[in-house]
Amino acid sequence: MVQVLSRHELAIEREDDVVIVRRKVRTLAHDRGLDSFATAGITTAASELARNVFAHARRGSAAIEELTDGPRNGLRLTFRDDGPGIADLERALAGGYSTARSLGLGLSGSRRLVDEFQIESVVGRGTVVVVTKWTRF
Amino acid sequence: MTQINYMNRLRLDERELASRRAFFEITDEDLARLATLRAFGERHSTAIVDALYDLILGHPESRTFFTDERAVARVKKMQQQYFIGLFGGRLDLAYVEDRLRVGAAHERIGLAPKWYIGAYSRYLRLLHDRMFAEMSPADASAAFLSIKKLVAFDMALAIDTYNAANMDTVARHQAAIRELSTPVIRVHHRVLLLPLVGTVDSHRAEQIMETLLLKVVDEQARAVIVDIAGVAVVDTQVADHLLKTTEAVRLLGAETILTGISAQIARTIVQLGVDISTMHTRARLADGIELALGIVGRVIVAKEA
Amino acid sequence: MARGSIPILRVANNLLVTVQTELHDAIAEAFQEDLLAAIEKTGAAGLLIDVTGIEIVDSYVARVLADTAKMARLMGTETVIVGIRPEVAATLVRMGYTMSGVRTALNVDEGLALLPRR
Repeated sequence: MVQVLSRHELAIEREDDVVIVRRKVRTLAHDRGLDSFATAGITTAASELARNVFAHARRGSAAIEELTDGPRNGLRLTFRDDGPGIADLERALAGGYSTARSLGLGLSGSRRLVDEFQIESVVGRGTVVVVTKWTRF
Repeated sequence: MTQINYMNRLRLDERELASRRAFFEITDEDLARLATLRAFGERHSTAIVDALYDLILGHPESRTFFTDERAVARVKKMQQQYFIGLFGGRLDLAYVEDRLRVGAAHERIGLAPKWYIGAYSRYLRLLHDRMFAEMSPADASAAFLSIKKLVAFDMALAIDTYNAANMDTVARHQAAIRELSTPVIRVHHRVLLLPLVGTVDSHRAEQIMETLLLKVVDEQARAVIVDIAGVAVVDTQVADHLLKTTEAVRLLGAETILTGISAQIARTIVQLGVDISTMHTRARLADGIELALGIVGRVIVAKEA
Repeated sequence: MARGSIPILRVANNLLVTVQTELHDAIAEAFQEDLLAAIEKTGAAGLLIDVTGIEIVDSYVARVLADTAKMARLMGTETVIVGIRPEVAATLVRMGYTMSGVRTALNVDEGLALLPRR
């Protein structure tokens, strides 16, 4: 049974916020007992997703939740923005886009770094990406 | 054996402490009441601790944990301090840290929960008898209720540390199993060999890559030979994993040589359309070793007859 | 962040730069500009980038590094990147970012051995 142990909400409004999100994720991943590879994975995914929020929507937020599910621990990140939304989700997830600060590789790349990945995007309204990384057995 | 930081592992911060206090219904009144009974506690500590150890040492199984007299004397002293702590009147993080140490000590000597829960039970009986002997029924009742709550709180901590230590052992065993299933051999200075045997699923492939990368840096290996003769099935996924591992090894600055490519595997790979032309590949392990040695500037030469 | 905050050393006819911290956005751009300016000024034959100090490399940083190597090559300078950490390497290949076209070496010595010795 998945339990949420804590929740941290960070605003993404300035370029520096991407770094702040990264540092927080790295610290919490370490606290949750994720090994160095898993930590690098989730932190990099967080960096990509936070960067996407800033690059495409300029404003948004990142919520970091520490999870526990029996013997395993995890980290769940939720990135929200009120940006333009992604018109062709499938293409974006396949790494199809390649704009200046690149939406493409970031999204499809982060998907491969995490255990669970969910995305909802409405053109003109915004995007929500939820990713989860668990400790391994 | 490394010490586990139980405060961190159990996430024992102010919030957790407050949560436990609330759930165990320990009020300020309870703590204040126990504080007023400190003199009572000190008066009876020796007798109670002695009676406690009469139980432990009188029972054949539990006796085995306490082999010599000096150990018993030491433990009794610790136990007395523990007992007095129940009348300290405070329930803060320092108190918790103290109690966790007790749990850790129990875990270290392998004392299972059944023993110390049984001991707590005797504690309570001993306290109950003395309280009702010395105080009015109303006072004794109130005091006993307060101490029961605190003892329950302590028991939860002791069990938590026991669990945490066990999980830690499991984690260490898992790490050991992982190491064993990815045996990286140092064939020569800066040349590593990884013979893969069995099935390689995504999970194992991840572990293989990680173990290999760490070893490459550790040994500053310039060449890595991955022998797949023993891999049960080589399909697109496995080929993809091998490719990724090769790329990662290259990023570190080393080269990978894939050996053990049988006719069957060669056929499968080409028919699947997987492009491994960028990799060094050989059918025989021996050829792979020669190639690897060449990378580090070595050549195998026949001895003069 | 101030320009010139990451020191660039000269080793024979090569440039050596050691990145100690994370290369986030503004720093990354200044980093690239400083390097290219140094190449232009010195006409170095080789550029060695030591990234042992970087723990997280996302696609942006990877692109900055790969682009820097490409730009250097246009100016006639060969680039070798050394010290990529196991965690960084694993993350990059899992993302699908291989940085092909960028030469790598285990450490500074090996890297220098790969660079031209004019």
